[in-house]
Amino acid sequence: MKAFHNKSPLHKASPGQGQGHGMRGNGERAGHVQAWAYNHADAARRSVGRRLQAPGHTLIMITVLGFILALPAYLWLLLDHAQHLAGGIDHEPRIALYLDDLTADEQAAAADRIGALPNVAAITHISADQALATYRAALPDPGLLDWLDSNPLPAIIEVLPLTSTPEAVHALERVLATTVPQATIVSDHEWIRQLQALHGAGLRILLVITGLLGLGVALILMAASASELRERREEIAISRITGATDRFLRRPSLYGGVVIGLGGGVFAYLLLWVGVLLAREPVEAAAAAFGLPMPMPGPAAPLGLALIAGGLILGWIGARLGSMIALRD
Amino acid sequence: MIQLQRVTKHFDGSTAALHNINLRVDTGALAFVTGPSGAGKSTLLRLIARLERPTRGRIMVNGQDLETLPRRRVPQFRRSIGLVFQDHRLLFDRSVQANVALPLEILGYRRGEARKRVRAALDKVGLLNKENAAPQTLSAGEQQRVGIARAIVHRPALLLADEPTGNLDPALSREIMNLFLDFNRVGVTALVASHNLELISSLGKPMLHLENGQLEARHGPRSEGRA
Repeated sequence: MKAFHNKSPLHKASPGQGQGHGMRGNGERAGHVQAWAYNHADAARRSVGRRLQAPGHTLIMITVLGFILALPAYLWLLLDHAQHLAGGIDHEPRIALYLDDLTADEQAAAADRIGALPNVAAITHISADQALATYRAALPDPGLLDWLDSNPLPAIIEVLPLTSTPEAVHALERVLATTVPQATIVSDHEWIRQLQALHGAGLRILLVITGLLGLGVALILMAASASELRERREEIAISRITGATDRFLRRPSLYGGVVIGLGGGVFAYLLLWVGVLLAREPVEAAAAAFGLPMPMPGPAAPLGLALIAGGLILGWIGARLGSMIALRD
Repeated sequence: MIQLQRVTKHFDGSTAALHNINLRVDTGALAFVTGPSGAGKSTLLRLIARLERPTRGRIMVNGQDLETLPRRRVPQFRRSIGLVFQDHRLLFDRSVQANVALPLEILGYRRGEARKRVRAALDKVGLLNKENAAPQTLSAGEQQRVGIARAIVHRPALLLADEPTGNLDPALSREIMNLFLDFNRVGVTALVASHNLELISSLGKPMLHLENGQLEARHGPRSEGRA
């Protein structure tokens, strides 16, 4: 053992030493910023090092997170594609007004009023006699109609909306109902509205599933982080005695959570690509069967970024909660 | 400076581990706390390091009243203290160098600067050649010296040691105690708890004797326990 002298390097002043004692100058503050940045870099490095020391555990965590993130993203991708397919159907919605109890003059007046409405592109007025004539022409044995006492078919005003979105068509239906209150209104656009309602319900269910899975992921990562910190309890106890703050102690766990989140996000994006490639052929064949030759696109880059961001956020939250519980214990 | 005024400590309603302790250790002083096992030596040091809180009384360390010290400032307070334990409390999953560097890691030292300081601390305790060794390959005396290097590497103003020679043979014990004398010579305030009365009597420094949680001075100036 060496003699201990005043000039020992051990007792020389150092800019980074003795954090938090008394007033600090600008130079010392700059030193603290450097120390803080170094501390973060060091925590990140140690955290990555720990992950590499247990590659099996790390890979399992990344895989679990990747699958859980990929599942709702894949469902969303399919729903989105279904919506695009529905949008690709060439459909001009028409609204039919059945005019049972209106005289010919009243029908003509109604047709004029409808034709003057703002969202009406065109109208076709078919009288009851015209309808019967058309029907008669279509029948193989028109003589059957001669047995009828009177014409059972109503007059029709067929309306072609200017804007064919479901909302605009629905609004026009309401206007028509007040314009010709005696008419029975039937729209052939109904099935698209039903499809949209199904899509909306699908999205809501997807949102709930995503929320539940996200919570599950956060809890898994929380448990992993808490368990990891408990394994380090001796180090934590000594560090606390030496003056480590909780922020310092949980920092490696937070970086660990972020690393797993990043890996999980990237893995989920890869899984999505695999899922799309596996489903592409049958989905495109099904679309073609409906006369919709629409290619199924791969997951776009923004979706990949959203998955990575989701992974990072979940990883951070899980690690934060886990470290909070473990350090409190 | 360390000052305790009428400090009493009970654990879970049992009899007092410490009873009505009045103690003063001036800045730059070195004092020894003696007494048999269970006398309250460790409790006294833990109270001073703010690892425990007193049931009654007031503790001042370097002008800071520990009772009014906010929880969030406790880590900062502990950075001004170096603690040495009888059982060394080394981390066996890292090297000697990494063990000693722990306080510097917490303080945010850059690796190069930390390494320099660690080497200096290990040099002081005569273990520079064991820098990269695993702690479990060291003898008990060497492990204790690693613990001491860790306690002094960040230049604490106050050094507290709890039975630092507890498991060591007489020759090694004297070496360890000489280290504390060396640190004290350069201005470090030190309070060392030990039951090795024979050894510390020979060092000619103030001794404070604890018996059944009560303090009495020996080889020290006054009965109130001033060193």
